[in-house]
Amino acid sequence: MSEQLNNVFESPLSGKVYEGAISIQDYTNKQRWGFRGKDAAAALRAEGWKLPKAPNQIITVPGDTLIMALSQREFWFLDPSTDAPIPSDVDQAISEGMYPLFCQSSHAWLVVSGDQKSEMMAKLCGVDLSPDAFSVGDVAQTQMALINCIVARHELDGSDVFTILVDQSYAQYALEALLDARAEFCRSS
Amino acid sequence: MKRVSNEHFGQWVNASKKVRFTFEGNEINGLAGDSVASALIANNQWLQSRSFKYHRPRGPLTLCGHDANTLVQTPTTPNLLADHLPARDHLSVSAQNYTGSLYFDVSRILDWFGRFLPVGFYYKAFFKPRGIWAYWEPIVRKAAGLGVSNLEVEAPYNDKAYCFCDIAVVGGGPAGLNAALHAANAGATVALIEQEPHLGGSLNYHAFGYETPRIASTEISVETSADRSTENSVGPSKTGDAASTTDARDAFSAISAQRDALIRAVEAHPNIRVLRSATCNAWFTDHYLPVLQGTRLIKLRAKQTILATGSSEQHVVFRNNDLPGVVMCSALDRLTRLYGVIPSAPVAVLAGNDHAYRTALSSHDGGANVQAIIDLRDGCDDPALSREVERRGITIYQRCAVLEAASRATGKVLSELIVHRLDDNGNASEKIATLDCGVLAMSAGFMPAYQLACQAGAVLGYDDETAQFQLSKLPAGMHLAGSVDSIFSLAAVEASGRNAARQAMKNLDAELTTDEDENTTCTERVNHPWPFVKHPKGREFVDFDEDLQIKDILNATRMGYRDIQLVKRFSTVGMGPSQGRHSALPTARLVAKATERSVNETGVTTARPPLTPEPLGLLAGRRFHPLRRTPLHNRHLHLGAQMMPAGAWQRPAFYGTPEQRDAAIQAEVAAVRTGVGIIDVSTLGGIELRGPDAAEFMNRLYTFGFAKQPIGKTRYAVLTNELGVVADDGVAARIDEDHYYVTATTSGVDRVYRDMLKWNAQWRLDVDIANVTSAFSAVNVAGPKSRDVLASLGCDINLDADEFPYLAYREATLAGIPTRMMRVGFVGELGYELHVPSPYIGVLWDRLMEAGSEFKIRAFGVEAQRLLRLEKGHIIVGQDTDGMTQPNEVSLRWAIAKNKPFFVGAKSVEILSKAPLERKLVGFELGATSPQPKEGHLVIRDGDIVGAVTSCEYSPTLNKIIGLAYVHPADSASGAEVVIRTDNAVHVHAHVADTPFYDPDNARQGL
Repeated sequence: MSEQLNNVFESPLSGKVYEGAISIQDYTNKQRWGFRGKDAAAALRAEGWKLPKAPNQIITVPGDTLIMALSQREFWFLDPSTDAPIPSDVDQAISEGMYPLFCQSSHAWLVVSGDQKSEMMAKLCGVDLSPDAFSVGDVAQTQMALINCIVARHELDGSDVFTILVDQSYAQYALEALLDARAEFCRSS
Repeated sequence: MKRVSNEHFGQWVNASKKVRFTFEGNEINGLAGDSVASALIANNQWLQSRSFKYHRPRGPLTLCGHDANTLVQTPTTPNLLADHLPARDHLSVSAQNYTGSLYFDVSRILDWFGRFLPVGFYYKAFFKPRGIWAYWEPIVRKAAGLGVSNLEVEAPYNDKAYCFCDIAVVGGGPAGLNAALHAANAGATVALIEQEPHLGGSLNYHAFGYETPRIASTEISVETSADRSTENSVGPSKTGDAASTTDARDAFSAISAQRDALIRAVEAHPNIRVLRSATCNAWFTDHYLPVLQGTRLIKLRAKQTILATGSSEQHVVFRNNDLPGVVMCSALDRLTRLYGVIPSAPVAVLAGNDHAYRTALSSHDGGANVQAIIDLRDGCDDPALSREVERRGITIYQRCAVLEAASRATGKVLSELIVHRLDDNGNASEKIATLDCGVLAMSAGFMPAYQLACQAGAVLGYDDETAQFQLSKLPAGMHLAGSVDSIFSLAAVEASGRNAARQAMKNLDAELTTDEDENTTCTERVNHPWPFVKHPKGREFVDFDEDLQIKDILNATRMGYRDIQLVKRFSTVGMGPSQGRHSALPTARLVAKATERSVNETGVTTARPPLTPEPLGLLAGRRFHPLRRTPLHNRHLHLGAQMMPAGAWQRPAFYGTPEQRDAAIQAEVAAVRTGVGIIDVSTLGGIELRGPDAAEFMNRLYTFGFAKQPIGKTRYAVLTNELGVVADDGVAARIDEDHYYVTATTSGVDRVYRDMLKWNAQWRLDVDIANVTSAFSAVNVAGPKSRDVLASLGCDINLDADEFPYLAYREATLAGIPTRMMRVGFVGELGYELHVPSPYIGVLWDRLMEAGSEFKIRAFGVEAQRLLRLEKGHIIVGQDTDGMTQPNEVSLRWAIAKNKPFFVGAKSVEILSKAPLERKLVGFELGATSPQPKEGHLVIRDGDIVGAVTSCEYSPTLNKIIGLAYVHPADSASGAEVVIRTDNAVHVHAHVADTPFYDPDNARQGL
């Protein structure tokens, strides 16, 4: 049954890829997990994790795992190279001061690449995401097309990309908004 | 008209590319780059529109979109400005605001009866007797029509985009270009906003080449560039008495080359984003600028703003100054230099300043037949200019004015000027000449384009001695450059741009090579102090948009409206599309004189956004309608669900075609009552509370007692607010000593979560609160056979009622998926709410449907669920409650712990409990054939409204109509009769009934 489950993890966006001058790729079925709580940072460091120095930053650690700090006490781990695992009770076991998060299930993960991605996002988001104002390693907890989202700028396979995390129930809507905004940049492609 | 195209004339048109469009059904030939207005003028079509009130013939005044004289419409869009509308093939353009035809407007009769339409006549004529405006309004609106909206047209795709920069430069003329380049070179990111499709501003059309000290026998002959003349272009009818000189060409060529280099540098600069054909339509706090560009509204966020918006040329107020053919000097400059349209008819220039002389020279040198300059002053300030004019044989009438413009032949286009001398008081005295004239260019001065600055709080001052304007009290981070700052000579204008950039960069803490501002001293007097020539017969227009004459403004002051703001409101001056660009100054002058104050004391009317009319579609932008879908959305569609909105969510209402609605709902209800049904309840809110103080937090927040809630049990959770009003409800499952999983209503969860965070910020309890609504998705498997379905699916816990009783919570592996299971009874049957991580709800649904096929499992939707819960008498917070509902009114007293020291709203609930009830929510019944009340129908008692129906359905199970309604407390006992006013005022008599209507002993849900 467990093997079966691995195959039936369902992304609302079905892992779609949209290639072009601006590419959009669904990473929802990739692994992510997170913790928060007053002791989360200390516990994670004790486990050997290197954490971002400040909230709203993202770093890449050996093994290509991305670690994103959303506050002093909330950390998300994004692994773009590993498929989502089977959920288990162990994953949700809590210890005082450090609580597991549900980011694998709660959010859809989109990766946007292309030189004009900042201009495209300017049609949807009120935060300046141009490289001068929003450089690699920056994270914005903001809104895109009227829904909450987390935008992070990082490198992935040598490319400068945006990771966009939105509530999974808005995934289809968010994708449609992105594709609409992207259209003017991809007409020739 | 003639067309020329060379280095200096016709810069924007492509002589080798023709365009054809229609105007009023007539084919018009233009050139690529033409505006509709310029192409029409090139075809001798000066008459392009009609005025608002008197339906007077109107033609372009400014040729830059600053007047309402060129309002036209296309089949799709009304109220377009012909001087900003690019001419293109197949375009169909019509004039506006006429009755009959543009050329023979029946409504022109209004002009003859003008004396009966004095200022303020709207207010006087149409408000008595009371209510009569409703009669007049459609007539007046039709008479004053400003185009026709085509409601059949599909809305264009409009959208919005943010733009971020260090410095926004508004205006792409010489000041703006210099400011942008200087700031960008110093490291700033710059957005340069230009209203026209080309950068350059006045460098493109104004004859700076005649400016002293540049002036040096400057005459440019179009013949020297005839190789670029168009097919229908004709050489100048008059080349002047003086020969062309190399110096002349050099002066203009140097300016052109300088301009081109400047534009190239700006366009190539990586730090500058150029927005052409873009209008900065307002200034809002912190330099938030809405910029209209095509079908996009750009929301520009800058750190500093440089206004290089230029200035609006002012007209001379004389009789018939609105005739087509009477234009601003800058309009004639634009016509000749941008579009290469050279008037064939005699041209005259009415001068209030030296700029007008340059227009005369420029037009003459472009090939126009400039006959005369009529100077309101004693003479030109710059003797060199006078000499140049005289050298070309142009007559100068000093201290003279046009008393009247006339249209002898057609009544629609200028043909004649009556020139009078001005006496010492500035009034017209003896007649000097009658001039044949096809085009009159006038310039009484320049008023800063002050609107954006004044929107930002700046104050526009006026020196009555020098007739100069000055903007002061600019907000932090705003700077002026160019003629908006009353700087007019080119060198000073360019320097002022660089100075503004320097100041802006200083504010951004940039390191500058020099802190010193360049000299921008400008002594040129551009404003004539009194450009009015009163005529006994009137028709000297102050405001072209609203057809307001000198006497209208004066009459307003005589009626006691001394304040400029009141004059505006009474007379409507400045309220047209031009927004006072040309009427503000003459009005202020007239009011000042009439009230014996200075112009500075009188002031101008308040400038408010927007600067120009903006399409509502731009404000709406791309319409975002966030929709939430559960992970089962596509499965519902596959099953034929009719989806309905539930807040932002899409939920299945029922499964079947719309025609099958009632039957489908009844079948779904029957499946739940007799077999098994499954409903997607993923939209239900979910909140996770974890930590040592989780129980304490629950106990403080909800009305019930939760401190001693056993692990593995669920409990109904009612939330009241501080006013004691029922705010939400849900089910709280205690997973562990320090772990709760709480559901909330679909529409209320975000508010509940927010309230939880707020309260915990105050209470500072050690609890982590997480909104997991999207992390978990859920289905409710309900019906007497639901246990069998789960058992057949393979569940690793004992599902027997003894082991997993009603209201219990269990964690199990179901179909291999870790599942949170709750035995709840919202629909009143044996049922299990199954909550799983969202990505796995799809497979769980599939397995349940497979396992349930043996038991004829059926998906049911929201409609069936509403009926099922109504049969059980369960309320829905938000539907059966409102913003005033207290627990006692909805019989929730049982859900309030009596021995708790505190919960949110406890004190209010206690106070409310001691007061007599004013209404009570009860169940009611009606016969199956009775008219069925709807939600919101009123409950009537002795003729008074005492309540309303909140829920009502026909129950096939019970074969009667059942519902919930607020009634008078005296009628709340079972069996009491209440009157409900249904559709068409039909009163039905319902009986109050005990709830639950179905299974009153609640035996079925506890199976």
